Amino acid sequence: MAWIVALAAVVTAVVAVVRSQNAARDAHVAWARAELAERQAKAADARTVALTDEIRQLARKRIPAAALALSHPSAPVPGLREAAEIDGGSATLLTEAVQAARAAVVEERQRVDAAARAAMRGTSAKIQSLLNQSQQLLHELQHEYDDPRILQLDFRNELALRRTQATAVLCDAWPGLARQNSPLVEIVLGAQSRVAGYERIKVANHLRDEWLAVVARAAEPLAIALAELLANATAYSHPDTDVQVTVQQSGGRGAFLVIDDAGIGMDDDALERARALLAGPSEVLLTELGDPPQTGFAVVGRLVVQYGFSCHIEASPFGGMRTILRVPAHLLTVLQDDPSLSALAPKPVHAHTAAPATAEPTAPAAAEPEPAVEVRTELPSRRRRAPRPAGVRSTPAAPVPPAGPPAPRTPEQAEASWAALQQGTLSGRSAPAPAAPPASEHDEDPNARNARNDEGDDET
Amino acid sequence: MSAGPGRRLIPAYLVTGGRTRPTGPALDRLAVLVRTDTALAPDTGSEQRRLCELLEPGALTVVECAAHLDLPVSATVFLATDLAASGHLHTRPPIPSAGGTDRSLVERLLVGLRSLH
Repeated sequence: MAWIVALAAVVTAVVAVVRSQNAARDAHVAWARAELAERQAKAADARTVALTDEIRQLARKRIPAAALALSHPSAPVPGLREAAEIDGGSATLLTEAVQAARAAVVEERQRVDAAARAAMRGTSAKIQSLLNQSQQLLHELQHEYDDPRILQLDFRNELALRRTQATAVLCDAWPGLARQNSPLVEIVLGAQSRVAGYERIKVANHLRDEWLAVVARAAEPLAIALAELLANATAYSHPDTDVQVTVQQSGGRGAFLVIDDAGIGMDDDALERARALLAGPSEVLLTELGDPPQTGFAVVGRLVVQYGFSCHIEASPFGGMRTILRVPAHLLTVLQDDPSLSALAPKPVHAHTAAPATAEPTAPAAAEPEPAVEVRTELPSRRRRAPRPAGVRSTPAAPVPPAGPPAPRTPEQAEASWAALQQGTLSGRSAPAPAAPPASEHDEDPNARNARNDEGDDET
Repeated sequence: MSAGPGRRLIPAYLVTGGRTRPTGPALDRLAVLVRTDTALAPDTGSEQRRLCELLEPGALTVVECAAHLDLPVSATVFLATDLAASGHLHTRPPIPSAGGTDRSLVERLLVGLRSLH
């Protein structure tokens, strides 16, 4: 019996051991599970914190930086803080948020800019029209009164007009003025007159064709563009230096206006930016032009796009900048017989150099004004006597014969012919005249004698 | 949009060269300009050259020169004073109007002329 008890005890012990082992295992599994759950919870917390940090980064850094970068392209735009801490889907969504914000800002900027441009366009058109009217009045006053201050007033008016016009062009307005085909040289002078410090601008005319002109639709735009370039050149160079403008003609490639200043030049960034503006970008925002806005190159860029000029800027051999504005051949024409080139327009250089060689430069030019005057004015104009040569006797030039045929006869010619007649008569009378018999007087025509009697009657 | 006649291309103040008033004595609009014999420098501006060419055949008044050059008198005065300062022109003030003529002088002159006859 004892072995039965012992067996039972052993079995019981074994069972107990097994049970305790099972219990221990269960406990271990449960602990492991708990630990896992705890770890998972910690990881989830960490992810949440990371995501929150990324969202904070998005809200406080990335979106403001992306908006800033639109107006300042060099500003850095930060990305995700720790790309490894959040999963790919969240990262993509966050980046999309940045892009959406950027698109919204761009759209809003364009809308605001367009509204600003529309407002400025309206205002500048109004001001431009008023300034044109006052210019007309000043023009009339100048011819009525001799006060030089009216000239200064006209200049101020012209400066204001240029500013207004440039603003209008920048705001996509029409230049606001139609012209005829205009000589290129006159356009250059016109542009020169619109710039503060115009007295420093020296124009050298190298045209082969003096009457080279710009077609009507491009005349005023060219003047505007050139005025802006000249304004830059004078504004950024020392007041004691000259700004050289060379007008050149180049076969089939049109005409070139080369502007050289001896100014401070531009650094690489500025030059790059200027070239980008001069190339004529499709859209220039007013907000991108700085404060105060630097409109010059932007205005030229707009006109370049609209009218087909081209413009290049580089460092000048004179120390400052050289700007080359090309007018393509299809915008050029040649004026036929129009003698009314302004008195101020510089003659082509080759004419200047030829003039001293002939020592009498007025020969062709002196002949020019007279027909011009006769053709232009219907009213009679006073004609001057040439300084009288000392040799000729000043005889009172008897009654001038009524000029039946309208042969142009100068007073000098008339005087010469009548003097010759008189001298001939005098020398004939003073001659001894032996050949003439006294009887010949009797043979005279009675009419002639009557005529002489008439003369005698007149004399008494 | 268009305000009266078009904007003229070249304004007259360009000849002033940025000065506010002419250098030298004031010139009346009837002052007479006479060209001297001095030759122009090769770099003379075309407007001064034109004025000298205009005076080549003889004397003109300032206002006549202004009309020929199509410039206002005020601008022409700048040109003329410059050329006078550089010795290319003589200027002569206008002859005063005949208001102050002495009648007895004229009568004596007439008597003298008759007695010559």
